[in-house]
Amino acid sequence: MSESPLTIALVGNPNSGKSTLFNALTGKNQRVGNYAGVTVEVKSGETYTPHGQKLHVLDLPGCYSLRAGSKDEQVALDALTGKFEKSAKPDLVVCVVDSSNLERHLQLALQIIEMDLPCVLALNMVDLAEKTGLRLDPSKLSEELGIPVVPMQANAGKGIIELKQALRLPFPPPSDAPWLAHGDKEKTEAQRREFITSLCELAARRPDSQSRTFSDKLDGFFLHPIFGWVSFLAIMFLIFWAIFSFASIPMDFIDGAMGDFGGWVESLMPDGDFRSLLVDGVIAGVGGVLVFLPQIILLFLFIGLLESSGYMARAAFLMDGVMAKAGLSGKAFLPLFSSYACAIPGIMATRTIDSAKERLTTIFVAPWMSCSARLPVYFLIIPLLLHESEGTWKQALILFAIYALGTLTAFLVARILRGKLGADKTVNHFMLELPPYRKPQWSYILRHVIDRALAFVKKAGTIILGLSILLWALATYPKADSQDPGEILARSAMGRIGQYIEPVVKPLGFDGRTGTAILTTFAAREVLVSSLGVIFSVRETDDDAENRGLIREKIQAATWPDGRPLFTPLSLVSLLVFFIYALQCLPTTAVVAREAGSWKWAAGQFVFMTGFAYLASLLVFQGGKLLGF
Amino acid sequence: MTPTAAARRTVTLNEVGLNCDVRISSINGPACDRLRDLGFCEQMQLRKLSNGRNLICTVCGAKMAISRELAEQVLVSPVR
Repeated sequence: MSESPLTIALVGNPNSGKSTLFNALTGKNQRVGNYAGVTVEVKSGETYTPHGQKLHVLDLPGCYSLRAGSKDEQVALDALTGKFEKSAKPDLVVCVVDSSNLERHLQLALQIIEMDLPCVLALNMVDLAEKTGLRLDPSKLSEELGIPVVPMQANAGKGIIELKQALRLPFPPPSDAPWLAHGDKEKTEAQRREFITSLCELAARRPDSQSRTFSDKLDGFFLHPIFGWVSFLAIMFLIFWAIFSFASIPMDFIDGAMGDFGGWVESLMPDGDFRSLLVDGVIAGVGGVLVFLPQIILLFLFIGLLESSGYMARAAFLMDGVMAKAGLSGKAFLPLFSSYACAIPGIMATRTIDSAKERLTTIFVAPWMSCSARLPVYFLIIPLLLHESEGTWKQALILFAIYALGTLTAFLVARILRGKLGADKTVNHFMLELPPYRKPQWSYILRHVIDRALAFVKKAGTIILGLSILLWALATYPKADSQDPGEILARSAMGRIGQYIEPVVKPLGFDGRTGTAILTTFAAREVLVSSLGVIFSVRETDDDAENRGLIREKIQAATWPDGRPLFTPLSLVSLLVFFIYALQCLPTTAVVAREAGSWKWAAGQFVFMTGFAYLASLLVFQGGKLLGF
Repeated sequence: MTPTAAARRTVTLNEVGLNCDVRISSINGPACDRLRDLGFCEQMQLRKLSNGRNLICTVCGAKMAISRELAEQVLVSPVR
């Protein structure tokens, strides 16, 4: 019988390089960044000792101490004490410390030694420490602490072999903690601090004078009261502009390729239901969503760059004053900004927020930060509002306005909700580490972007494919005797569903077909594009084989039964507003229920956001009509 | 210097001028544990880099942003 592998846990302060080391040890591709709080849950993997013994590796969320001030710190403490999801206490702790900041990082290392756990100290980022003129003496550190100390630079793969040597069996015994005053907590803390001060004087001496570093010079600009804001807004706008302009080339290519592929399949097969399923259902549905892949890749690339460079923490610092107006702190900025990519990691990142009530509020409004799944919908609708001759910068401006609308509403609701929830029992103040600027870790950014792109393609190949086939079947059966496409659709199951939905969505400016398409988006909002593609291609199957991928043209050509165009600028704005506000993502609702610890909170959020979306859309359409649009 | 004179020279971090190097004399207030976790420990040297709603300082080689309320709990004296 084989024994279960021994467990080692990677522990350390936030942004000390635990996830980078975890990836290096296990060969995994865990998300890494250059700000505190990238890892908020326990990640596990496997590695081997130099003698081939398998080890179970846990990557714990960063924590400053074992006091468990926030949810992610509580998770780390539970994992160390064997209370986390029935797992036992780790057999060895690798305490990862930033060598350039030993006075602070050793506080946690010493607390772990006090827990009587075998410990190895990974002295990470020695390159940065040496650059600041710090004189490190790893042998002295090891001698004084009584544990193995391994100097390393995990992001360059340096010191990994030496660390693995230190993980040989049998593991080193737990060290004594000479600073420990048994039973007297305050005295222990004071003696621990004294021990660290004298240890750093011995083994990590700082230069007497502090010179202005490159990061200090950059901060002089990026955190300047005026230039800082100008650069922040410029960076945000550049991201939106680049997403529109750079992505158009690969998008046109995918669009053309999908159209050609649909035409080729159509030319090969005889007319019939199966050809219709493949061309109108599968290719039109999946292709319509896949075409937005380049823009999603670009969004994740830019967010990865901001995280990896260290700018994200500066943005949080700048935004603290703005967030305070919404009843939140700068710490809520990072989860909310991450939600622009996807609300799920954003909601999980709220674990770094100390205040429980601020955390709940942030979770509640995070889905209003327009996520990447909304991009296909926006990119479908925005060009319909503009003439072809108008430049991409106008499209970028509309996109910017859409994001601003979602964000401002989120702030407004957060302020009201924060007021209703009342003050916390303990007051939490803003404190944030500003890490040094670093060159982006391209390998991790690219691997992360590729993972997200593959997840998007997988979703297109599963949920969106399934819904496309279902929609095609609903729009095709039961069949009518007539050859008139309008008659066929009216008799189909889709037509009948549409008749029921139409009275609900007509006040928003939509017909039953659009209402049916919206209904399908409650599983995943980007399905709208393929749903509209499938629904509207049914009406026009005869003459537009060449335009198979161009759903936009079909939408423009769609009319009400009396011949009026279905989509006017006003109804398109109404549709945009509905998608800015509606919560149409089942996985997000599931994550909210888990993170908030309440299904009621998740259900309340879903009902509130969907109701808000309906009312906002109603207000836009009816208000617009009254104003003569 | 007498203890009284030393106490007179102790000010809160909010009152320190920009780019001044100071040493932490004591931490007094409800957030003292959290501040110590972040490296604001007695006898540590720090340099204040900016003022404002949140102030920035370097301590133990790290750059930290803390609110004025927290800075009020950090008592410092000039580096001799």
